[in-house]
Amino acid sequence: MIGTIQKLLFPPPPKFYGVMGIYYFVDDAAKAVTALRQAGHKRLQVFSPVPHHDIVAALDEGPSIVRWVTFVGGFLGCTGGFALCWYTIYTWPMVIGGKELFSIPPFTILGYESMILAAGLSNLLGMLALARLPEIRPAAPYDPRFQEDRIGIWVPCLPSESAPVEQAMRGHGAEEVQVHA
Amino acid sequence: MSQTLTPPAPRAAAPVHDDPEKRPITQASLNDDVLKLISPPGKIWWAAFIFDLAVLAVALGAVRNLIVHGWGVSGFFRPVMWAVDITNFVFWVGIAHCGTLVSAVLFLFRSHFRRAVYRVAEAMTVFGVLTAAMFPAIHTGRPWFDYWLFPYPNQRGIWTNVRSPLEWDVFAVNTYLTVSSIFFLVGLIPDVAAVRDRAKHPLMKFIYTLLSFGWTGANYQWKHFYGAYLFFAALATPLVFSVHSVVSWDFAMAQVPGWHSTLFAPYFVAGAIFSGVAMVINLLIPIRKAFKLEHIVTLDHMEKLAKLVLLTSTMVGYSYLTEFFMAWFGPNKAEADLFWFRATGYLWPAFWTMFSCNVIFPLLLWFKGFRRNMTAMFILCLFVNVGMWFERFVIIVTSLNRAFNPANWFHYTISITEIALIVGSFAWFFMFFLVFVRVLPAFSIAEIKETLPVPRRGNGGHR
Repeated sequence: MIGTIQKLLFPPPPKFYGVMGIYYFVDDAAKAVTALRQAGHKRLQVFSPVPHHDIVAALDEGPSIVRWVTFVGGFLGCTGGFALCWYTIYTWPMVIGGKELFSIPPFTILGYESMILAAGLSNLLGMLALARLPEIRPAAPYDPRFQEDRIGIWVPCLPSESAPVEQAMRGHGAEEVQVHA
Repeated sequence: MSQTLTPPAPRAAAPVHDDPEKRPITQASLNDDVLKLISPPGKIWWAAFIFDLAVLAVALGAVRNLIVHGWGVSGFFRPVMWAVDITNFVFWVGIAHCGTLVSAVLFLFRSHFRRAVYRVAEAMTVFGVLTAAMFPAIHTGRPWFDYWLFPYPNQRGIWTNVRSPLEWDVFAVNTYLTVSSIFFLVGLIPDVAAVRDRAKHPLMKFIYTLLSFGWTGANYQWKHFYGAYLFFAALATPLVFSVHSVVSWDFAMAQVPGWHSTLFAPYFVAGAIFSGVAMVINLLIPIRKAFKLEHIVTLDHMEKLAKLVLLTSTMVGYSYLTEFFMAWFGPNKAEADLFWFRATGYLWPAFWTMFSCNVIFPLLLWFKGFRRNMTAMFILCLFVNVGMWFERFVIIVTSLNRAFNPANWFHYTISITEIALIVGSFAWFFMFFLVFVRVLPAFSIAEIKETLPVPRRGNGGHR
């Protein structure tokens, strides 16, 4: 039963074509990434238990754009919070102590809390969407060692192109190279 | 360049050391150390869990009586209608604050010691808010109408009063629960992937696969994970300060003596961090001892937490003295009488328990030897939590039973039902916590790994 559900939700990985290099030393992996990118393999992926600055620099990735999703969520949340206060106070006008119906200080609290709530939720959704989570169909072969202390570099390529990639990986200190052809 | 260096074998045995504090940690051994907590529990765990459920059952019986027979059975009478319920609410919201402080505020300040302790603190936050939220929900008297607290379109055309501090509380506490839960669960994703990879039972593997969102540790996942994590921290940081400020305004917006003060927001935030850090210490000391994790949560980490307790203790003590000074110096006779009553009236044991536990006993933390003695720290932090519970009790009960009109004054005594609610709240909290320790990684593997030396061939194998 569980196995069936698991297969439906997380089907077995598809057939991959490419080369997976497994590294222990971070500087080896970073050099391999630089060399492979210079050789034209821009779609390579790196798997690691923690992100490493050397590898991030070698991949030449810009900052995550999740911040803009968060900003839009926060802006809408703040606007929505104030709008809710404005709408509800005039829909059910109740003067208390002769004070103004539209009271900025208390509305700021609700606007502020709504901003944080919406920004938090949009931050989550933005992260999941951009990081392609949940990852139902793996994008590359996976090895549990990537959660421990090994770094994996996956270069998707045709079987005919795998020999130079394998050679480049071994030349940069790969502990193990798996060719998926 | 030394090309002869060979990497260690995968899953090599963890290094050993006579001194548990100095046991070396490698990336692979860290997984072993943290994931060993996720194993079938032993007799001690089961005994604790069954005892906890038994206590919770008694408390649920008390809640049942409250709902069926009404608030009279609890001894809640005018004017002390908030009594233990709101005391418990404020206490547990305060406990919950430390988690976000440790995980978010210290993350922004790049305080690396947080990495070893923040997961426990975050779990405490989530379970603390879950515990706290129960009390206003019960306190409404008709909990099945609690959804009235939320603004929603209805056929009567009426809305919640958005100018009421109680409504601010609804927004603040629910935002805090949502954001802190997301923060907690997102932080777990990479670590749950490590649990998933080791799970043998198909059901457990399936559950952990779902919880890990299929995490693989790919570069595009890490990039957006940390991009978002920074913003979670940036959003949660002002939230920590705002939520307990809003809770304090439940009191400060009223004109009751002892409550109507601009001091309340910073005073409550400092108190919340004080009690929360003390609770984290109380939780960490047994865990690190029972699971032999002294090399992961070291004495240095514990000492830094102890310093936070000391810092916030002095802030709380300063607030107590300022309150008394303002009551004496100010023109409000009712305020001055109330503070004199707090210290010398029939509830003096509560006041002096509060003052001793929160201001006097923590002075021991000035001594390094005390801060590094885990037995002494554990006992002190228990006292701090007792003191902080009494702080909320003193604020609520003394002010309500000695307001302006002497005709309304009331002699408050705590009832059996209220005691059941207090004890039950701890049972409710520890029910979650006991399960958490056994099913989810209680320490952040990914973040602790970032503090370990990076294996490099070009530098003799070191950072």
